[in-house]
Amino acid sequence: MSGALKRLLVLLVLAGSLVVPAMAATSTASASTAPASAAPTEVGRRASDEGEFSETKSFAREFVNYDGSKTTLNNPLTGQPYKMTVDVDHTRNLRGRERVQVSWKGAQQSAGRAPDPYGGNGLNQEYPVVVLQCRGWGDKVTPETCWTTAVAQRSQVGVSQSAAVWREDEYAADADKEINSGMDPMPTSEECPGVDDTGLLATHITPFVAANGTTYDACDINHMPPEAAADSSFPPAEIAAFSDENGAGSVQFEVRSDVENESLGCNQDTKCSIVVVPISGISCDQASTPTATQLTAVEKNCRKTGQFAPGSSNILGAPDAAVAPSLWWSASNWRNRFVVPITFGAPPNVCDILDDRAPTGFYGSELLSQAALQWAPAYCLNKRRFKFQMNTMADQAGFDLMTNGGGPAALVSGEHQAGADPVGYAPTAVTGFAIGYIMDKPDNEGEYTQLKLNARLLAKLLTQSYAGSTFGAQHPGMGDNPWGLQDDPEFQKLNPGLPKVGNEAGAALLNLANSSDIIQQLTSYIATDKDAMDFIDGKPDPWGMKVNPSYKKFALPVSEWPLLDDFVPDGSTQCQLANPSVYFNNVAAPVTTLAKISSALIDGWPNTQTRCDTDISTTPPTYKLGRVDRQPYGYRFMLGVVSLGDAARYGLHTAALETTPKHYVAPTDRSLAAALRLSKQTERYGPFALDQTAVRRSRTAYPGTMVVYTAARLHNLDQDDADKVAQFIRVSTTEGQQPGSGNGELPGGFLPIRRTGVTAALWHSAQDVADAVEAQKAPAEPGGDPSDDPTDTNGDGSSGGDVTPPGDVPSADDPSADATPSATPSTAPEATPMPATEEVSSGLAGGLLPLLILVGGIGCVAAVVARIAPYVRRRG
Amino acid sequence: MTATLDPDAPVNTTEPTSAKKAKKAKKPRQRRATPAPRTPAGPPSQVESASMVLSSAFTMIGIVCLWMAVQLLFLGSVSQGRDQDLLYRELRTDLAGATAPLGPVVPVGDPVALLTIPEIDVEQVVVEGTASGDLLAGPGHRRDTPLPGQVGTSVVYGRGATYGGPFQDLADLRVGAEITVVDGQGTKKFHVIGVRRAGDPLPQPAADGAARLTLVSSYGTGRLGPISPQSVVYVDAETKKGFPAPSGRPAAVPDSEKAMASDPGALPLLALCLALLLALTLGVVAARQRWSTALVWVIASPLAIALSWMSTDVVMRLLPNLI
Repeated sequence: MSGALKRLLVLLVLAGSLVVPAMAATSTASASTAPASAAPTEVGRRASDEGEFSETKSFAREFVNYDGSKTTLNNPLTGQPYKMTVDVDHTRNLRGRERVQVSWKGAQQSAGRAPDPYGGNGLNQEYPVVVLQCRGWGDKVTPETCWTTAVAQRSQVGVSQSAAVWREDEYAADADKEINSGMDPMPTSEECPGVDDTGLLATHITPFVAANGTTYDACDINHMPPEAAADSSFPPAEIAAFSDENGAGSVQFEVRSDVENESLGCNQDTKCSIVVVPISGISCDQASTPTATQLTAVEKNCRKTGQFAPGSSNILGAPDAAVAPSLWWSASNWRNRFVVPITFGAPPNVCDILDDRAPTGFYGSELLSQAALQWAPAYCLNKRRFKFQMNTMADQAGFDLMTNGGGPAALVSGEHQAGADPVGYAPTAVTGFAIGYIMDKPDNEGEYTQLKLNARLLAKLLTQSYAGSTFGAQHPGMGDNPWGLQDDPEFQKLNPGLPKVGNEAGAALLNLANSSDIIQQLTSYIATDKDAMDFIDGKPDPWGMKVNPSYKKFALPVSEWPLLDDFVPDGSTQCQLANPSVYFNNVAAPVTTLAKISSALIDGWPNTQTRCDTDISTTPPTYKLGRVDRQPYGYRFMLGVVSLGDAARYGLHTAALETTPKHYVAPTDRSLAAALRLSKQTERYGPFALDQTAVRRSRTAYPGTMVVYTAARLHNLDQDDADKVAQFIRVSTTEGQQPGSGNGELPGGFLPIRRTGVTAALWHSAQDVADAVEAQKAPAEPGGDPSDDPTDTNGDGSSGGDVTPPGDVPSADDPSADATPSATPSTAPEATPMPATEEVSSGLAGGLLPLLILVGGIGCVAAVVARIAPYVRRRG
Repeated sequence: MTATLDPDAPVNTTEPTSAKKAKKAKKPRQRRATPAPRTPAGPPSQVESASMVLSSAFTMIGIVCLWMAVQLLFLGSVSQGRDQDLLYRELRTDLAGATAPLGPVVPVGDPVALLTIPEIDVEQVVVEGTASGDLLAGPGHRRDTPLPGQVGTSVVYGRGATYGGPFQDLADLRVGAEITVVDGQGTKKFHVIGVRRAGDPLPQPAADGAARLTLVSSYGTGRLGPISPQSVVYVDAETKKGFPAPSGRPAAVPDSEKAMASDPGALPLLALCLALLLALTLGVVAARQRWSTALVWVIASPLAIALSWMSTDVVMRLLPNLI
């Protein structure tokens, strides 16, 4: 036995010693296969997989009979007691509005499904799984610390006694079986008009205790925390979710930090939890009589098991209270809870609060914003590093700022025209853009997650060729075009199983209004597609759809998408009569940041500006066009350009894009790496260009792959700033490429840049640029005064002349140590030969006042003389 | 009415022309100077009216020049003193509220720091911007340099003779003299390391992390020195450790904000002011046809003074900024 084992061991060692050198020899090959072997997941998903949670619990519903025996109700799907498992994909260092995947199996199939499961709208269901966010961990979590938006979700106020099934709860404390319960003392009917003091109606209140200690009575809307106000800025996140016919289900649960919800108050220091409460029905107290038919009304109600068929939908009807989500707080339901501890990451303003140094701003691409958010604390909380601050702006604007000295470095994702000084591009992050979407399958069948798009569909969206509505259909030359993606046969063929009625939301791709490298890359992807360009050049697609004439023969690629249409439909509504405007511009309504597109997608709220708002308080009424309403759950259909970082953080779905015919590539670690393999660096310190024609030949490369570069001047940069830029490049390409959710780590949506493998070229180029930026010596100018000091522009003999501020002149190119001692006053003034102070003088300045006084004096004297002269002469 | 009855009516006709040529509602005095018919009745002779015109013209020239000199040297100090009071109050509030500007970009004209030089008895609030008009209120911080006290070389311009002449004794500073700067980041004590005039070598480069402060003003030599500041003088001061300076400053300033530069942008405003003065003159002429001289006096003189004051302020913007 041991002999066989030993032989096996030797064999393994031998095999290993053969394989390792082989791998080392072909390091690129081995690295390229590594991601390939991984399952095709979202980009950098591993980064956010930290703190996976899984727990399994067994429970059952039971009724206590008259004789004290118990009847157990098992899970009807299995015939066994419930054995439920809850999985949460990541729980650590969450940030505001981040969405985590909560999935479960082993619950009972839900019934009477509501169209919108969120907040108060989700109450009319049976056997759902309630997912809430609560403050505290473990046993500290009580229903009082759990957030709900609606009063009805936490309190039962003024319920007839026969419907007050929570008073029959077997597990409830005696106090909770009182007619009015939940608070001590209970609010009187004066404080809460709904509470009945007379003993006729039952009330149970679950107050809300805010993070600052305030207790909200939660008996009506006037006693709720401020964030629960109607139409508050964020829609409800808590959900009564649906389990399918196998008792499984999943939701993307959005967590809120104290930035979004101050009363709930979750932050870096306040522990919070996601609480999953499966609703399996109230376990009922001892029956008052052995005969089932003679039970009291409330006992019968408590023993109800639902009135809707499993899997059915519910538009109007009220569910049986005993199995409804409104009693999630009752002891029977609450004891089955799963408490998932979560932690929050550093708040976005941590650097402003904890570090009083002046920040060094890097300007540029929003693609990096999620990484910058995690990176910044690793700089500002480390006194040996500078205080990094990222300021989002258009790539070109950031680059211009860098070239003219306004900022030490720019964050761009493509090559830009450099100024007088050479510029180095250090690869800092591999990420990209994606077409994010939110689409519900018809009949409440859940979200569509397999969207495929090709360049022609994107071209149709961007050129505003979908009519959107009857107004758009009036556009000359577009009368026969579909109204939206939904009724475009090409889209239907690619993505079966989606709604088929076109509307304005399907006619627009929410896009950036300003100049961006993202638009540049997106349009070059379209420009390399023959079908798409034929369509733009005026050839109808096989189903007869024609391009919007305003964009006919529009030349691609561009870095800023223009709104060219000028069609104003004949107004038929008061709004259009009052505000004649270009219809398609209102439909497209591009925005200025990717973050706005992401939040529009999270909320399912298109930016389409075609809603008619009327103010009838004025005479005549005033009309304006406004943003359309949020799309109702189950009917959402929206697309937008998002960054992969945002998509990972907010759990947005991203579309697969066509590369070779019939091959659709989604953004994954693998497809990004494949695209990197196609990109080439043409010159030292330069960026890596990704040629879209090469992508169109590859079956694996994702067309939206983009590298964000730290671009900085290679000379004439202030040495302080140069050191900071070099430090940033080095830290971000080493420590900053460690996937994870902590400070300084690389969040989801980014492919780590490593020293080996497919990203090796990027890594080496980054180090190269860091050295060059730090050295700051490129083509030397004679005379040795290439100082970047802005005031050092001598030699303009113009009227004003110029001051040369001393000190900075040699410091930029001569940071030698001997400058330090010589800087002390009055010692060794000749240590470094310094240029002489320039002559600046002005004759006007010197002569003005004497001249004024002289001329003034002469004038006065002359006036007197002139006045007196005639009389003198006459007298004489 | 009185004018038509007046024997020396021709005077009236000459005055508008002289006024138009120069400006200002100086007529009332003119009018008073010739009230009583000192000569017997009859039109004034040719010589008399010519001398009248000449006298008025010279009077106007004299008044314009002297007014300007007086405002530059004396009245300007009053308005500069008031500006300083207001700026001090504003800066004090900003400092207390921690809203004092830290750079890199500060709205022009905002107070940025309090500059104290006990040796030459200077306590001035520094404003942002060095255009001629900005320096009317006090010393100005050149916008393409760090704020006083921050790492790097900060440049502050101040007038040497007019409008209070905050920096008139700048050249008297000795090496080692103390300069205190209070701004949004705290208090810094600088020590003067040298006074420079044209041709002197620039001081040695500053050590890492040191803050330099260069005060710039103008000076004159000779008997008329104090009122003929024609050359630029620099005072360099240094402190070992400066406050951190944010990046993102403007890379350059317009020509009008450089030393001894003027601001031709004020020309349209000057045209407006002169037009108003002209309108006032015509108004006075018209008013005198109807109302008594005393009444016209009372109404017109404050307007005339205010307009003259305003016009001179605008003219200042067209003159070199350091005088």
